[in-house]
Amino acid sequence: MAKKETRILLGNVAIARGIVEAGCHVVTSYPGTPSSEIIPAVVEYKRELGLDTYIEWSANEKVAFDNALAASLTGKRAAVAMKQVGLNVASDSLLSSAYTGVIGGMVVISCDDPGPLSSQTEQDSRFFAMFAKVPAYDPSTPQEAKEMVQGAFELSEKYQIPVVLRPTIKVSHAKQSVKISPVRVLDRHADFKKDPERWAATPKYRFVLHRKLNETLKKIQAEFEEDSRWNYEVGSRRSAPFGIITSSVSFVVLLDILEELRLKKVVNVLKIGTPYPFPQKRVSEFVGRHRKVLVVEETDSVIEFQIIDKRNVLGRLTGHIPLQGELSPEVIYDVLAGICKELGLADVEESGDEKLQQLIEGLDIRGRRPTLCAGCPERAAFFAIRKALPKAIYSSDIGCYTLGLNLKAVDTVLDMGAGITLASGFYHAYHQDKNDVPIVATMGDSTFFHSGSSSLLSAVYNKARFILVILDNEITAMTGMQPTPGSEITADGSEGNPVSLEGLIKGCGVEWIKTIDPYDVEGLVKLLKDARKYTQMSDGGIAVIIARHACLIRYPDVLHENPVKVEITSDCDGCQYCIDYFECPALRMSDEKGRVEIDRNFCVDCGVCIHACPKGAIIPV
Amino acid sequence: MNVQIVLAGIGGQGILFSSKVFSELGLRLGLDVMGSETHGMSQRGGSVIAHLKLGKFQSPVVRSGTADILYSFEENETYRTLRFLKRGGTCFVNLEDPGRFDREVLSYLNTKDITFRSLDASGTAFQMGSIMSANIILIGYSLGTGLVPFDEKDLRHVLRSVSRKKDLEMNVKALEIGIQKGKS
Repeated sequence: MAKKETRILLGNVAIARGIVEAGCHVVTSYPGTPSSEIIPAVVEYKRELGLDTYIEWSANEKVAFDNALAASLTGKRAAVAMKQVGLNVASDSLLSSAYTGVIGGMVVISCDDPGPLSSQTEQDSRFFAMFAKVPAYDPSTPQEAKEMVQGAFELSEKYQIPVVLRPTIKVSHAKQSVKISPVRVLDRHADFKKDPERWAATPKYRFVLHRKLNETLKKIQAEFEEDSRWNYEVGSRRSAPFGIITSSVSFVVLLDILEELRLKKVVNVLKIGTPYPFPQKRVSEFVGRHRKVLVVEETDSVIEFQIIDKRNVLGRLTGHIPLQGELSPEVIYDVLAGICKELGLADVEESGDEKLQQLIEGLDIRGRRPTLCAGCPERAAFFAIRKALPKAIYSSDIGCYTLGLNLKAVDTVLDMGAGITLASGFYHAYHQDKNDVPIVATMGDSTFFHSGSSSLLSAVYNKARFILVILDNEITAMTGMQPTPGSEITADGSEGNPVSLEGLIKGCGVEWIKTIDPYDVEGLVKLLKDARKYTQMSDGGIAVIIARHACLIRYPDVLHENPVKVEITSDCDGCQYCIDYFECPALRMSDEKGRVEIDRNFCVDCGVCIHACPKGAIIPV
Repeated sequence: MNVQIVLAGIGGQGILFSSKVFSELGLRLGLDVMGSETHGMSQRGGSVIAHLKLGKFQSPVVRSGTADILYSFEENETYRTLRFLKRGGTCFVNLEDPGRFDREVLSYLNTKDITFRSLDASGTAFQMGSIMSANIILIGYSLGTGLVPFDEKDLRHVLRSVSRKKDLEMNVKALEIGIQKGKS
């Protein structure tokens, strides 16, 4: 056997490694933190190892899911990766495919974001697995995540069922020295076997499939009861006053804390890597052996809810664990300190340094809030929108441009696609009262391809009136520069077949479409005013402006060709209008000089801020 | 050897690269490496923090009050991340004007036996014509002071192996300038 090599891998890269080691043939995804690094890593392995893997960035998570599923139905191995809220989008397919099952191994990777650090909810994908009735794996470390991918493929294939892998952000974005194994090449050819009673099941057959699914879950549960790879105990295995049941990164955080407090010999720990179907016997036996048992799990109470006899169980239901937020080492440490005291196990000081905290709070230091980059074309667009229609309702969406919040040009951010659907809903709610209010929806190009187009055609059909500004930076910027369906290239860098944004919008039935570079702030202001008029005309409708300028992070050299260097004159009276309404990282108030200065470390010479000074104090050099 | 390191700053200051340097250093020293990083929204100019644990650890996150070393590349982020340092820990801070740092905080750190060292790494980097090199200068500085348990030779080797070709020369130069500043 080949010697095992060790490499430092990010959790998501370890997952990608697991995917290629398992010989997976098809990998699909829609980008979203904390899952976005999986696909690029698979692409890297494909290049490095000369693999034949088919890899795609799909238009959205459901599209990604279905593409992977179809590959599985032909007997190939398939993986689909997304962030946890992406699974909401793909859930229709997940729930249905639990009934029909799969042929080749199919692993659904849904990365959770306790905190949340980069998401709209803290939802727990393990619940989704339970809801859909598919097995879930919950890794603690990058190494385990890689091994679980392999295990998940095998289980999926053995029981013909899709399997969910649920890494949390502290697994996806942890790094670790990981032992890598050789890559398998599975020689399989697509061979879809027709079976309409299964693949096209009508309700009558769905009942039969559901019964079969329940039987399968029983078998998997029995397997998980016996499986000590993912579910195991650390400690004496004997009776003890106190035990902990835990999973995911909380498990390893607890191990470090118990080591530090020298409590490893006092406290037994049961680690659950397969929370569904639940290894009930093993857990009951553990609970029965301890006077008190604490359940520590992120993000919700999947293990705790499934424990039958909860009389001696402490957790969220008893108020011992916070109901929201990440279980950071500080939180876990303090919970443990409290319980050790309560049970008289050990005298553990609470963590934290109140004196230091007070001193720092006294300094009133504000953390840097995320902001659009210097020179970002989206800033220019938001500035023009506020200037042209200051009283509008601004419905927006998920992406870098959510940061239009800072520019007071974003009023709503619900989920992917809602920039348009909420605009439509706002219009009808006001229109019903015969009120005409300006509404400006903003949405990025990738989000429009994801779920904007169906929203738009529905709004057109139902005669809504609003302005839609598509912030087209020609890339999925926030999540790390992934291509969109409008790009010239696909996931692995090969040539794509780009879809025309204008053509798509036209196809949705919109008759007023204009394209402009948002760096032309005055031009965009005028266009927005024209658009507003069009939404008010008797034969008008929805007006769409494509504000097109490539992302500067992706294409930093563009400005070098045609820089507009600016300076701030003595006319600046320090009113800070530019800072409040333009908020470029390169503009900074100097308290000493009483006026705004340009920070050349950040300035990219875009020249857009010339429009942002009401006193005309920002001028080209 | 068990060492816990926190690297803090803002997006674009090379925190993730610095973390990579220490990870590879750990691997070279035969230590187990674990850590965690900030990705996503925070990278848009917001706070970025990386945790690194070299040696016998199970979890990738550093708990407040347990870090041996803190590298902070930005003044405000320093205040926000000092809580990670353990009693007797050491911090290296990129500061344009050390006189501006809060005196009360400094004297409190002193009562916890925390060593506080600062360097105008950004200014130094600007002088050498590569503002992106402040991170490497500060790391070099820490080695020069002899306050961290790493060897210059190992770090030189690692930096060469992880640098992109086009950055290699500048990174090596930044490291040497940093080391000299630390020694003087």
